[in-house]
Amino acid sequence: MTAKNATMRNIGISAHIDSGKTTLTERILFYCKKIHRIHEVKGKDGVGATMDHMELERERGITITSAATNVGWAGHSINIIDTPGHVDFTIEVERALRVLDGAVLVLCSVGGVQSQTITVDRQLKRYDVPRIAFINKCDRVGANPVKVRDQLVEKLGHNAVLMQIPIGLEDRHAGVVDLVAMKALYFDGAEGEVVRVEDIPDELAAEAKARRDELVDAVSMFSDRLLEAALESRVTDDLLHEAIRKGTLARKLTPVFMGSAYKNKGIQPLLDGVVRYLPGPADVANEAHDTAQDGAKVALRTDDDAPTVALAFKLEDGPYGQLTYVRIYQGVLEKGLEIVNTRSGQKVKVGRLVRMHADSMEDIVRAGAGDIVALFGIDCASGDTFAAPGLSLAMTSIYVPEPVVSLAIAAVDKKDQDRVAKALNRFTKEDPTFRSHVDPESHETIIQGMGELHLDVYVERMKREYKAEVRTGMPQVAYRETIGQRVAFDYTHKKQTGGAGQYGRVIGALEPLPGGAFEFVNDVKGGRIPREFIPACQKGFQAVLRKGELTGFPVVGVKVVLSDGAYHEVDSSDMAFQAAAQGAFREVYRKAKPYILEPIMKVSVEGPSEFAGNVFATINQRRGIIVSSVEDGLFARVDAEVPLSEMFGYATTLRSLTQGKAEFTMEFLKYGRVPSAKAEELAAEYQEKRRRDAK
Amino acid sequence: MTVQTEFARRSPIRTMERHIHDGLGKGQIGVLASPKGVGKTACLVQIATDKLFQDKPVIHVSYASRVDYIITWYEDVFREIAGALRTEAPLEVHDDVVKNRVIMNFKQEGTRTEQVLKSLEAMITMGRFAADSVIVDGYDFSLSSPADLAKFREFAGRLGLEIWFSASLRGEGSLYDASGAPLLLQDFLASIDVLITLHAEPDHVRLRVVKDRNHPAAGDLPLKLDPKTLLIA
Repeated sequence: MTAKNATMRNIGISAHIDSGKTTLTERILFYCKKIHRIHEVKGKDGVGATMDHMELERERGITITSAATNVGWAGHSINIIDTPGHVDFTIEVERALRVLDGAVLVLCSVGGVQSQTITVDRQLKRYDVPRIAFINKCDRVGANPVKVRDQLVEKLGHNAVLMQIPIGLEDRHAGVVDLVAMKALYFDGAEGEVVRVEDIPDELAAEAKARRDELVDAVSMFSDRLLEAALESRVTDDLLHEAIRKGTLARKLTPVFMGSAYKNKGIQPLLDGVVRYLPGPADVANEAHDTAQDGAKVALRTDDDAPTVALAFKLEDGPYGQLTYVRIYQGVLEKGLEIVNTRSGQKVKVGRLVRMHADSMEDIVRAGAGDIVALFGIDCASGDTFAAPGLSLAMTSIYVPEPVVSLAIAAVDKKDQDRVAKALNRFTKEDPTFRSHVDPESHETIIQGMGELHLDVYVERMKREYKAEVRTGMPQVAYRETIGQRVAFDYTHKKQTGGAGQYGRVIGALEPLPGGAFEFVNDVKGGRIPREFIPACQKGFQAVLRKGELTGFPVVGVKVVLSDGAYHEVDSSDMAFQAAAQGAFREVYRKAKPYILEPIMKVSVEGPSEFAGNVFATINQRRGIIVSSVEDGLFARVDAEVPLSEMFGYATTLRSLTQGKAEFTMEFLKYGRVPSAKAEELAAEYQEKRRRDAK
Repeated sequence: MTVQTEFARRSPIRTMERHIHDGLGKGQIGVLASPKGVGKTACLVQIATDKLFQDKPVIHVSYASRVDYIITWYEDVFREIAGALRTEAPLEVHDDVVKNRVIMNFKQEGTRTEQVLKSLEAMITMGRFAADSVIVDGYDFSLSSPADLAKFREFAGRLGLEIWFSASLRGEGSLYDASGAPLLLQDFLASIDVLITLHAEPDHVRLRVVKDRNHPAAGDLPLKLDPKTLLIA
């Protein structure tokens, strides 16, 4: 590890909405002396918190997209990655989690571990992110940080240890007792910027002593030196810090801090905790996929001297063009350096390189391994990897799920059309799971994504960021068609009515290809179809597969084996063989027992176990299959597989059934066969639509 | 359903059923007992898979274990069976089988038997999951009481279920009494209809019927577990 990246931290701040995450971030920026005034989230001064630069977020008081902000604290450089609080924006969440090395889990001292805390914690766990906890809002009525610590243990399975105890709670919340230094900390000055260190008040001495013993007990298992020292009663602050850091990095310990961001209490000790206990970039193992080696995993070195590997994890439209946030995993980025976008193969030269502070930026010439910076003037998509020429590494897997929901949109005002196009162009670049196209038949603009909410957010963003008001249709599920059995074809396309004729004959079979999309096998021997016409045959099949006969959705899972055919010296052409392929397919498709496929979602519902029965019922009513239910005391989670078409409006149903106490997440799982009753309904709808369109 | 019928007909579970008077039956409790690692879970999963292949829904109740670990067990058993039957459409059979299975996971400590039964009943009634049998794995009889098991038995009777438990035997020295019944289960025998113990031999695992309601127990079964796959053969 180089000395430089030992003093670097890339952290995220994760929380249930309304735990005060944005306020906390704001205070952190303030105390790090990067901003000069603290703005409230729903700013009375109309400015809004510095991190929340999107209008939509400002209004809702929540944060949806991630941005990175650099601050300095105690000789350390800290990049704060603003992680989305909402669970549905999968790609955003995954990307943010990807680039951070440690996290502060913010909890409300009254609400404690809430459903979303559980979700964000699970995500952090999935990415092996070490955490420290901050129990916020200790000034609120009903504040009980010890209870929240207990919930961290019971509900999240953390080995959570109090690093502090509060000095007074609710309106008497005055500061905290630091259980390592065994001192009382008060926060003076107009904005809490002066930390006053005092002796522990007498009335808290006994509790502080007991909690300190608990702390020493809990962390001594991570350090033999501490254990020895504890037995001989010569524990030093440094020994404690070292053991706490070890436990935290191993994800076997969660140090718990507390205070009130709103009342400016407890922030500076939390920042000390971040630099003391959370990992630097070199403390974390990172891997890339080698695309030249079939995606084999390659370990990366957090070393400035290694060849450069960086991940573009966020794009933003700035006043000076596209701003690309990157995390450097290996090597350096510096002005003039040549790097390659490993997805597109495009070579680029690093131009302007900046370090970001929410809305202001600082030009830099070089950034080292582990750092997070932003680049100007680089055309790329979010999730792209940049590497030194010659490397074929990708930080993210190339697999992007196909969108499962679509929505027709139209600008309310013709004048808005340009802005809608601009917005769509931006969003599709940012998010590979969001797509848009114009339907060639209805001429409607169709947007596609991974769920109802996913699309809602983009429609909202069009209004807020691009001032483009759009009308939306009903969300539409992306069905597919496939075939159930092998069927042979023998079709001749012939047109010889004046002028140049058309002739082509294709013989072969359609075969089911479970799980696949399309495969074309050329088995034609002896030039029965001349080689130059084979691509035309393939093209013809591909074209006709784009629109199935049952529903008008694409046909997947088909293998075409072309085994024989015939041609005409004069009348055969590419066109003729394309037409023959299409004709062959249309003629036999119905005989191949085609059926409709629908997206099946993996749904996870979490809430108090008293509602488990209601949840079972809702899943059953939606044609779902319950895979498992896990009950842990008062809390239950139900995992199920449910057709997407049945999930519209589920959020509302669930909310009213459980008094808002249960939440759900869903993601695409697979395509499954539509039951016959439903299939008939879909087919009838499609026929009806065709009749309407024909008129 | 031909693959399924074929499997059901050939299943070694039929042999087991013949030796315990036509299988367990509704309203009854069966227990498979052995020390850890002999193959109880594998046996339970096979009993469950046998039901699933007959299109009979099964609830797999698990204590302490992780859900993904249990699913892996089912996948392994399914793969072995599909391999043996050389079915041509393993995927379709698999999907048919899986939709009849629900896994419910509980923590025994801090969850009362009433709560577990309440959730099971909610799954069957509100979730409209018409379970035929319930498999209970990882249940710690040393933390339980005869009254708890009696509640399970009453529940099985009321909802028309057969319930198979596994019982892990721990400790040094002899684990069984003179009749071959595990000492751990002595107080529970009143609520146990069929009790089978598993014994690790050098090259296989032996199954022994120790209790069969009021019938004389059949003793060693002409069945054994393959120690590699832990499948009954």
